[in-house]
Amino acid sequence: MSALSFFKDALYADAYALKKGFLQSRDPRINVAAILLLIIAVLFVRDTAVLVWLYTFCLLLAACSKINLLFFIKRTWFFIPLFSLFIAVPAVFNFVTPGHPVFMFTLLHHPVTITREGLSGATLFVMRVATSVSLVILLSLTTKHTELLKVLRILKIPQLFVMTLGMCYRYIYLFVEIIEHTHLAIKSRAGTNIKHKKGREIATWSITNLWIRSYHLNNQVYSAMLSRGYRGEPQVLHEFKTTLRDWAWITAAAAISTLSFAVY
Amino acid sequence: MHIPDGYLGPATSGFFYAAMVPVWMVCSKMVKKTLKAKQVPLLAIGAAFSFVIMMFNVPIPGGSTGHAVGGVLVAILLGPWAATIAITVALVVQALLFGDGGITAIGANCFNMAFVSVFAGYYAYRFLRIRAAANSTRTVFAAGVAAYIGINAAALCAGIEFGLQPLLYHTAAGQPLYCPYGLKVAITTMSGEHLLVFGWIEAIVTALVVKYLQKQDLELLTLNQ
Repeated sequence: MSALSFFKDALYADAYALKKGFLQSRDPRINVAAILLLIIAVLFVRDTAVLVWLYTFCLLLAACSKINLLFFIKRTWFFIPLFSLFIAVPAVFNFVTPGHPVFMFTLLHHPVTITREGLSGATLFVMRVATSVSLVILLSLTTKHTELLKVLRILKIPQLFVMTLGMCYRYIYLFVEIIEHTHLAIKSRAGTNIKHKKGREIATWSITNLWIRSYHLNNQVYSAMLSRGYRGEPQVLHEFKTTLRDWAWITAAAAISTLSFAVY
Repeated sequence: MHIPDGYLGPATSGFFYAAMVPVWMVCSKMVKKTLKAKQVPLLAIGAAFSFVIMMFNVPIPGGSTGHAVGGVLVAILLGPWAATIAITVALVVQALLFGDGGITAIGANCFNMAFVSVFAGYYAYRFLRIRAAANSTRTVFAAGVAAYIGINAAALCAGIEFGLQPLLYHTAAGQPLYCPYGLKVAITTMSGEHLLVFGWIEAIVTALVVKYLQKQDLELLTLNQ
């Protein structure tokens, strides 16, 4: 269960959304639109330098939103971009991307060359992935999840999906707690030196147990929904307000995206 | 299996969003028709369940670990229409919370894992267990094989999507702009690792969960029949 602590950190990183930073003070609808514009720009850009600028802009936004930059960089690079870096490594060699040699060495008695084209392609690929992932995580860190769901509803995403998304998010908290307790109980009884066959049995037994327990929650959850006034359409209490600063922010995001498109 | 932002070009991403819209619409309609109001939380449970399944690192021989996706398992438990919605929701939560599987790639990820994997696996399961009792060994076997088929079908689709990128998007000098590997490498890698490793994890997890459900709570296994 090595991923558990990472998942827990990510799930409980909600505290950043409560800070009074730049993005937290903006209208969530504007934030979603602006970040989406920037992500689309990142998707179209073909120049690594422009991607580096967009990534720097993302870091600047994170700093202005009172997010610890070390935490942000660790959080964004830990998983997908690092994995992409690993994937991109073979592409720098001449047997995948032929081109002008930059560096040559011998590997198992075979000459291997790193090419300029390979390096440039791999850098473009990793920077694109890192910038996109950073922008998505920036949005999720600075926007309360309830507000994000409300924005999805405003974007005309069907109610069935939005409601399921909201409930799913709450269930994940509960499930993570159940798994953590089960894992701790197993560890305290059986220790950590478990053979892979037994480990497989324990993992699948935990999954089955989780399904049985969660299925039996279904009736209780529905009764709780009814008692709180659920009639098929979720009600949201607060309305969003757009200020002049929100318009300035979306204009800036649109301008940056347009400039990136111009380079494309 | 989760495709992050930046791996697929704009047209490919747009194409899969467009392809998934009718699927989501039909699934919503079917779920509204078949699922009772009382069972609405079940969809969210299915989504959270699929999300959490991916957290279980299953030990594999050689000291390494891998994780299952659970698409076919959720389809067996809730039916394919509800499973498509549940897996879609799980993928959206993963993309928004962890940046795992990007926003622009949600269409492609849903196509692979919430549609192809779920339907291929579910109908393989139905076919393999024709006239078999819910508590039979054949049902366990059918669940395992179906999960293997489902995840491998999804991996093949992901491999094709990756492999098409250098053909569709490259500079004048031929330098790829998105996923850098062609069809041969992408399909071999994606299919190879799923045929040899991850497919087996998915199959073992699905089969064992079905086996445990047969012992613990058979009724849950027959909800969708």
